[in-house]
Parts: sequence; structure tokens; C-alpha cells
Amino acid sequence: MTHFSSFGIDEALCRRVLSVALSRGADDADLYFEHSGSTSVALSDGKVNRASTHVDLGVGVRVVVGDQVGYAYTEDLSEAAMVAAARVAAEIAAGSRTTAPVALTLKRLPSRYHATQPWEGVDMQTRVGLVRDWEKRAFAEDSRVIRVETSLGDSFKHILIARPDGRLVYDYQPMTRGWVVCTAETGTKKESASANLAQRAGLEFFTEARVSSMCHRAVADTTALFDAVKPPAGEMTVVLGAGSSGILLHEAIGHGLEADFNRKGISIFADRVGQRIAPPGVTVVDDGTIPFARGTINTDDEGNDAQRTVLVEDGILRGFLQDEISAKHYGVAPTGSGRRESFRHVVLPRMRTTYMESGTMPPEEIIASVDKGIFCADFANGQVQIGAGDFAFYVRRGFLIEGGKLTRTIKDVNLIGNGPQVLATIEMVGNDLKIDEGGWTCGKDGQSVPVSQGMPTVKVSKLSVGGVSA
Amino acid sequence: MSLLDLARKTVEDARKLGAGEVSVSVSSGSELSLVRRAGKLEQATQASSRGLSLSLLVDDRFSVHSTSDLRPDAVRAFLVNAVAATRVLEAEPERRQADISLCGRGATDEELDGLDLTHATLSVETRRAAALELEAAVEALPERARVLSATMHLGDSSDEGVRVMSNGFEGARRSTGFGLGVELTLIEPGGRRPEATAWYSANHRSDLPAAGLIAAEAWSKAAERLDSHSIASGRYPMLLQNQVAGRILGVLGGPLSGGELHQQRSFLAGRMGTRITNPALTLTDVPNIPRGLGSRPWDGDALVARPMPVIEAGVLRNYYINTYYGRKLNMPATTGGRSNWVVAPGTRTPTAILADVSKCIVVTGFLGGNSNGLTGDFSFGVQGLLVERGEVTAHLSEMNVSGNIEEVLGRLVEPASDVWTWSSCRTPSLFFDELEFSGA
Repeated sequence: MTHFSSFGIDEALCRRVLSVALSRGADDADLYFEHSGSTSVALSDGKVNRASTHVDLGVGVRVVVGDQVGYAYTEDLSEAAMVAAARVAAEIAAGSRTTAPVALTLKRLPSRYHATQPWEGVDMQTRVGLVRDWEKRAFAEDSRVIRVETSLGDSFKHILIARPDGRLVYDYQPMTRGWVVCTAETGTKKESASANLAQRAGLEFFTEARVSSMCHRAVADTTALFDAVKPPAGEMTVVLGAGSSGILLHEAIGHGLEADFNRKGISIFADRVGQRIAPPGVTVVDDGTIPFARGTINTDDEGNDAQRTVLVEDGILRGFLQDEISAKHYGVAPTGSGRRESFRHVVLPRMRTTYMESGTMPPEEIIASVDKGIFCADFANGQVQIGAGDFAFYVRRGFLIEGGKLTRTIKDVNLIGNGPQVLATIEMVGNDLKIDEGGWTCGKDGQSVPVSQGMPTVKVSKLSVGGVSA
Repeated sequence: MSLLDLARKTVEDARKLGAGEVSVSVSSGSELSLVRRAGKLEQATQASSRGLSLSLLVDDRFSVHSTSDLRPDAVRAFLVNAVAATRVLEAEPERRQADISLCGRGATDEELDGLDLTHATLSVETRRAAALELEAAVEALPERARVLSATMHLGDSSDEGVRVMSNGFEGARRSTGFGLGVELTLIEPGGRRPEATAWYSANHRSDLPAAGLIAAEAWSKAAERLDSHSIASGRYPMLLQNQVAGRILGVLGGPLSGGELHQQRSFLAGRMGTRITNPALTLTDVPNIPRGLGSRPWDGDALVARPMPVIEAGVLRNYYINTYYGRKLNMPATTGGRSNWVVAPGTRTPTAILADVSKCIVVTGFLGGNSNGLTGDFSFGVQGLLVERGEVTAHLSEMNVSGNIEEVLGRLVEPASDVWTWSSCRTPSLFFDELEFSGA
């Protein structure tokens, strides 16, 4: 059986370890086995000159008593080591056994990221060929290109979750990411930009259309910066382009709706379920089910079904992203949002693919409605303060909007605002939702997990732009 | 098998499989962390961990690998795959290891003093008691009633690592780390919940500050964020607080690196020996500070770790160049990465500096932001205080500070005297002439 053979364990062993985990009277426990591997190849200076491989194997044992968690992990999957970890995790409880694990039954999962050409069957020569091809294409795009670096990363994760209630959940999670970094020169000016693509998929992901678009974007986004100016400073109207500007949702509202922060009362959204937090027409979703998306999961890391979770419906806050501990606190079902970076980490409520549903406005009309403002096209990173609600995101490239038209290119500017205030000032929502295919990674409490984000073109009446005063 | 024996055997096995050069690191460690909130132990994590990583040169082809699956058969299969994967790459003789004469220790473990021997006998009960003591200190805060939530974090670790290279280098290190901190969230009548964290880490447990000091610091930081707002965009002098000054200095990190220089993505290319900041700035990389959080005996290439001037009275003295990029750029290798950054302090306290300034933004925290290493342009979200002639007149948030790092560091007026030593970036607060802030 594949689900046990990846780890060299069996059902009886899982139950014995769970039994130790429950021995001091815990409410619940889980074992999270992980066997993962990754490979990358990289090209620079015209040579495919670096490769890397990583293998990780281990188990995390979690013991839950109310909202208290005991956690231990080991890379040694011998019974003695796992039992020792279970004993340590069990120390969070201080009583005697009340439940015993029942027989484990494998749960059927949906298949949202079946790789037709899994990376385990792809030889290194093929990987080398890909990054070399991307380099060639990038140089061919524009004679001003002076440096190109390309890389390809792929990984897989076998996870097996065993629960005392008899649930046994196995998933195979592939991931791939391609990256092209370009530097171009004209006269005395040099600029650099990059493009990347990521999905839970195998080799088949890199279609001609995707590859040619990635290489073209890396070069076009670089050369566009030659004429870039610095944007003005201060509060102004901001139009967010469709796609990766979902980073605004991720920071302005997504983290604030993770239920652990709300359970502790420390999110600015803690008391606002059922209230209007955005104008009608604004619907925000966090979805773990979009086929092949980087943030998609067949199961969350507690063994619960991933879902499409509506966070804001027509402007009204509907609910939070729940893992089991927070769901129990709120008396609701988990939303399949319990995720962890690896077996070394505890489960937390996390985002998957966060996006805003399309509205009705054509994007050109949104831009035409702005006399003076900026348009954001390409993003680097963002951050939020959960309690104050202040958030920021960094725009690598955008445009000035003057008299309803996109004019000069702008670059390298941080935008800052307050989540609830910005949501309340969304003025228009475009009809062009796009889920971005970039390799976004979300960090929380020192744990990184892959996520996706999406957005239609959206107009916000007021954000503070970190430009220069006129 | 001991870590050293495993590392030696792996070097030998990889060579038998066809690797010309091999460098192997094996590590083993333990960690423990506790989180307390609302009168309860909310989370307790404990684990022992191990791992092996190696870099290979097979017919001058380079690759790096790591695994946590140390079963003998698995390591064997891992090595076979690693060597085979390397063969399909293109040769790059610049990847060869550094000459052994350049490798070794810059300081003994005793000199670096990164190991607290009491860690081995520290009981779980003692740690639980320390977390409880910190919680009690928070409970005793005079304005406890305004605290909505307090989360206490305690963590410690013990690590042992060995490195064996086919050029003959062998080294072993042991170190311990201890951390203690508290995260406070306050509440305002309007529903905003400003938050702040005070966190300390040290190699030795006895170096950590007393619980009462940590609680008081978290309180004063959080209180500084109450009722905050932005002010009009414009140019203001800036006092950059010591604890967060690393964020601005860090903009130099990428552009100083050999990799970015080689890829022509650094605005500091060709600037060696020239003035890049105000003469008030002297920045040195010091790897041998006893108990320094960034201290190390050797660097990533096993080169002897030695103090290195980076910026001397405003003049660029060294880039971060590892063995590989040294060969690529035809420059001598210095070191591939930062250890401790030490900024030379001035003579006046921040309070004394602020007393003379009619209006100044004191930056106490950052939110988001990034920089462009090719131009030196940056833009960061900031929080802080508006100080007028030494008096705090507003708490600031939702503002950005933007500029070009060379221009901004050119406007450094004076470093204060208050060096922050609880970080690998040991800098005093830095006072700047007018910079560009955006707000309302």
C-alpha cells in the first residue's frame, strides 16, 4: 500500500503511537507523516551550473487538550523514536486516558492536481533543457538584455495523517516553479525584473504558451522600467490590476480573518462577523479547491476537506478561516484551513487561494474614471498588523493615471493603508477576475506555506503611496 | 556513528562514487518552545533533530544536497542520485573549494563563548516556571487593564555541527540559544488593537533580561502605538531607532554581495574606495564577538572568519565576495556573507539629539517595503513618533519613508551612543537630516 510504504510503517504501529499520545487524557491527537523531496536546476552566465536536491522525512505528533497543544517531531521513524515523541507531546495533558484510537480507514480524497508527467519520472537532462530554452528565449526578446538567469524547481510531498477517530488521510502534493530573471541596459541605464510561474503540476505545466509568456514578461517588465519615474507621495486613488494584486486581500483582510487571531480577540475583525465591512458587490473568497493552483490542497494538514470558504459576501463579513481548535472554539465546522509548513510545525489556520469575485465594470472604464492616481501592475511582498489592521504591499511596477489614461511607468513604491478603511473605500470592481499563476509564499509564525491569490481590476479611493513630494 | 565519523564517511563515499570535491556538514540539535496565554500553557513543542548537507564537484560540475533521512541505505541512495544529477550540468572550475591555507578557525569556541553548559541540565519545570514568571510580570503591569491579550514565548536550542571537506578542512562547533519575549495587544475605544513585541535572544541563559524589564518594554512599545495616525507628506528629519535600524542598513546587503555585482545588479559596482555614505558612518563585519548572535569561527566556504571593514568613515572598503565569485570577478575573496554588523556609535543619547530638533520623526518600526539593488531606491512603511523639541506630540502610523539609500545615508548626521547588542546588527540609533515621508 503506497500510503504506508512511503514511510515504512503500518496501521498497528500508528495506533500504538496514537495510544501513547492519548495516554495522559488528551481530547485528541494526530500523527502527521511527511516524506518530501525537491530538485532544482539553475542557469547563470550561460551555463546550467547549479543543481540541488533535498529530501525530508519525519513525523509530527500533536496532542490537543482544549485549546492547548503539545507537539513533538522526529526524523527517525522507528517505533522507539515515535513513541518517545508521543510521550513528550502528551505532557501537555495531566490526567489519564479517556479515549483509545480506533481502527484506521483510508479516506477517499478528490484529485485536484493530478500530474500527467510527474517530476519523479523526468530526467535531469530534460530539466537542464528547459532552463536553457528559457534563457535563449529571453535573450531573443530584446537586444538590450545583458544578463539572464533561469531556474526550475520541482517538489513532491507524500503526507499521511492518522487520527484516533479512525481517519487515515493520504495525499501526494506536487509543486513546480519556473523563474526567469533579466537585466537589460540602454545607454547608462540598467534595470532588472523577473517573472515566475508556479502550480501543483508536473512537467506538462510548461506549455509553449506559458513559457513564451513568462520569458516575454521577464524582458518586457525589465525594459519598461527604463522610462520609469517616481510616483508622487501621499494619499491618492489606486487602481489594482487584475491578478497578483490579490496581495491586497491577502494582507488587508486575509490574515485578519484567520480564526486563531480572532479566537484570541487580537484581530481588528474579531467582533465583526455579520457586519458590513465592504460596499455591496465585494465578495472575497478563500478557496482550497481550484484545480492545480499553488494554494490548492486535496486535504488540509489535519485531514479535513479543503473548501471554498466565502469570507465576505456582498460586503458582509461571513466568517473566518478555521482549523480544528478554532472551529471548536466557535462551534462551527473547520474550513479545511489547517496547514503547516512541515512535520516540524504545528497546524495554524492559513489561507489557500484568496481572491475577490468579479464585479461588473470593464477594466478600461475603471481606469478612465480616475483623473489622477496610480495603477499597480506588479508586486513583490506585503505585511500586516493584525490588531491595528494596518497593512502594506510593495509595488515593483505600475503606471501613473492622468486624465483617465495610463501614462508614465512607475516603480519601487510601498503602499500602506488600514484594512477595514481600505475595504470600505473600494469604489469599483472589474469584471475580469484573474487568479495569478505566480509562486506566492505566505509567512506566519515562522512557517511558510504556498498560496495563490487573484483579483479583478479594483479601484480604491484612498491609499498612502510612498513616492516623492512634487 | 558520531557526527564526525558520518561526515568523514560521506566524503569518502561520495569520492568513491566519482565526486572530485566534497564538503559535508552534519548537524544535530534539540529545541524546546513554550507559549503561555491567558493563564495557561497554550503550546509546548520539543524535538531533537538532525540533518546532513553536502556540496559536490563532479568533473567540475557543482551541486548542493540535503537530507534528514539518515538511514544508511537512504544516505547511500541519496549520494548515488546526487552524483548522477551533477554529471548532466556544465563544468565551472571556479566552483572548486578554497585553498586549505585560507580555511580554518578565526576564533576558538572558548573565545566565541556561544555554548551555555547549563542547557544540558535545564529541566522542563524550570522553563515552565520562567514562562510563568514572565506572565506574572505582565499581570503586574500598572496599566494591565488596557492589555487585551498577552502571549509569552520562551524557547531554547542546543546545536552541534561538524564540517568535513575534501580539501582537508575539518571543524566542529557547539552552541546554545535562549529566547524570551512577550507579545502584547492593547485595545482602543474605536476597536483598533495595536500590538507590539519585546523579544530577547542570547547564547547564555543568564544573559537574558529580567522578566519585569521585558514586560515593561513590551508595554511601552505597544503604548506608543495607541491612537496613531499619519501626518502630512513632506520632508522630516528622522531618528531611526537602534532596534530597527538594521532594516535600512540592510538595503546595502544585496548590492554589497559578489553575486549581485557579478550579475550587474548592484549600484555599488565600481565604488570600492569611494565615499558612499556620510563620513559619520563606520560599519564593520565582526565575526569574533564573544556571545555575538552572528559570531562564527569560519564562513560558508570554511574561510577563516576575521573582522572586516565594510564602510570606514563613509568610504566603501570591502564587498562580500566568496571564493566562487572572487574567481568570477577576478577579485580576492573576502567572505560570502554577513556575521555581526557593528556600527560605530556617536557620543550623544537619542534624547540629547532630539532635544535640539524642532520637529523629527522617530521611526520605531517598519511595515512592508522593499528596495531595488540596482538603483538603491527603497520604500518602507513605517510607524513611529512625532517629536518636537524632545516632546512626543503624536503617534504615527500609515506612513512610508522612501528614497535612495546612497542619498539617505549621505544625509546621516550622527549615530547616537545607544548600541543595540541583542541582534547580529549592532547599531546605535541613527539621526538623519530631512528625508521623504508620505502620509496623508
